[in-house]
Amino acid sequence: MAFVIEKQATTTWLQKLLECGEVIAPVRGPCGDILFSSVHSPDQVAWDFQNPLSPPKQVVLPQTDPLIKITRNAGSYEVEPVYDDGRRFLFNVRSCDAKGIAFLTQMYEMEPADASYLRRARSLTIISLACNKPCPLGFCICSGSGPFLSEGYDVQLTDLGESYLVEVGSEKGEAAISGASNLFRSATEEEVSQRQRMEVEAKNHFEEETCHFASAMRRISTGRVQDALWEKMSDWCLECGACNMVCPTCYCFSVKDLSEDGTWIRCRIWDSCQYAAFTLEASGHNPRADRKQRMKRRFFHKVSAQYYQRDGVVGCVGCGRCIKVCLGSTDMPAVVGAIRKGKWNE
Amino acid sequence: MNDAFLPEIARLVGVADETPDTKTFSLRFRDAHNGGNFHFLPGQFLELSVFGYGEGPFCIASSPTRPHTLEATVRRTGQLTGALHRLGPGEEVGIRGPFGNGFDVAGARGKDLLFVAGGIGLPPLRSLIWNVLDERSRFGKVTILYGARTPTDLVYKQELEEWGKRSDVELHVTVDVAQPGWTGNVGVVPSLFRKITLHPDSTLTYVCGPPIMIRITVHDLLGLGFKEEAVISTLERMMQCGIGKCNHCAIGHRYVCRDGPVFNCAQIKELVE
Repeated sequence: MAFVIEKQATTTWLQKLLECGEVIAPVRGPCGDILFSSVHSPDQVAWDFQNPLSPPKQVVLPQTDPLIKITRNAGSYEVEPVYDDGRRFLFNVRSCDAKGIAFLTQMYEMEPADASYLRRARSLTIISLACNKPCPLGFCICSGSGPFLSEGYDVQLTDLGESYLVEVGSEKGEAAISGASNLFRSATEEEVSQRQRMEVEAKNHFEEETCHFASAMRRISTGRVQDALWEKMSDWCLECGACNMVCPTCYCFSVKDLSEDGTWIRCRIWDSCQYAAFTLEASGHNPRADRKQRMKRRFFHKVSAQYYQRDGVVGCVGCGRCIKVCLGSTDMPAVVGAIRKGKWNE
Repeated sequence: MNDAFLPEIARLVGVADETPDTKTFSLRFRDAHNGGNFHFLPGQFLELSVFGYGEGPFCIASSPTRPHTLEATVRRTGQLTGALHRLGPGEEVGIRGPFGNGFDVAGARGKDLLFVAGGIGLPPLRSLIWNVLDERSRFGKVTILYGARTPTDLVYKQELEEWGKRSDVELHVTVDVAQPGWTGNVGVVPSLFRKITLHPDSTLTYVCGPPIMIRITVHDLLGLGFKEEAVISTLERMMQCGIGKCNHCAIGHRYVCRDGPVFNCAQIKELVE
């Protein structure tokens, strides 16, 4: 079912959403950069923007995520889960990032499920904004995570010029527009087909249409990537972990107790498989002591057939953020390309 | 849905010194009711919390046939284990678990069992050993080979003595380096294979110890005619969540915390690092 909302009416809609819960949207920061932030007024929300460098995964998986509260009383301990199930709207999120959150939810839903994550994810409504023009570094088309979505959103907006086409993808999405139903009218056939034309046009904007995941996947999964190639590529890795931090699908974490006013909060904290200490055991034994082993691990997890069979998707939404942050240029397209060609371009 | 990270509170009811840096901690659930729901297999592990210091994975060293107390044998190597070593009876820790697949005890019935352990690798096997000894008639011949760096580093010294005296157990102990007063074997664990009669066709072997010891022992056992499926080991990784999410223990697309920690050699060969 598709609807249409006039552009000037989005202010009233956002106002309604703000009354129902927290709204997180791309906003222009004090230095002019775009970032995801909680908004208090509809006019803060950016509509024309380059995707922020930090993905919105913080909303469902905070970098420091409180799980358990531990209190001590006369030598005895009590533990209780920390609840965070406040209603939130993630507004104007790009297709790749909506897919990223769908991926995280799939990982945390897998049995045994993670209640703490799911409480947050289930109270989040994702209102995505389809990409009429691909972003400069994006390759979402390779992993089916954009530029338009066919699933993975609660509401998908498409900019039709004077208005937005509004596609509802879930009950949560329905709830997000029903509170302001007078602002939405049913879309005409022409409006729906305009959206289809825009999707085709957006796809045509991508320079390369071939997806190289498949051939890299074959090589990675069968161990046919030479050790020497991993070594060469990993020579360029600075082990900074930035690729993991900005990746919408990276979800590795560590668990630590943080002290807070006489109690402790046991937290899940983002971790990086590229750090040497990630697999270090207390005995000093480290099964992935070599940088090349760690790089191999990262790409095995993201594009191996073994994981693809389990998850049905590759662990990459093609947002291109790793290209932007990696100082050694060992980003997803570069490594996939090198694996396919069997050669690293230095 | 349960909160996977929420530990149960347990009390230390006993702490025993094993070696200068290793202690065995006996635990009971503070809320006895929760203990009733705690069923485990030998080879499974716990996430043990020392509150304020965090938690880490430790194998259950006691047998499910003796369910009243849980035991964990822990070497002092870092912050968490250091904090645990400072605790005494009556103090509280957190427990999550049990995690992992554990040993297939039912599948081992009727078989001869050969346990090969090195150093601190004996605790996970001890859980299975006591399980087998408590149901002795269900299993064939039981042979235990155990080695440590020095006589001081041998854990469960009293139990070793007890097993040595039993007529239904064959035990051989060795040390890499002897100390004054040591009259037993000197040499690495695989050197004990010469002392026993092996029946590769009817025997399951359980190997646990430091990575290098496992590698050499497995190599020797396969050379002696054991099938890969009959050589079983338990792997150690930095399991943090226990539910296959944090990825610390991933080997390829397998997770030691979920698919393991017990694997046979054929399965280990399939793991792509």
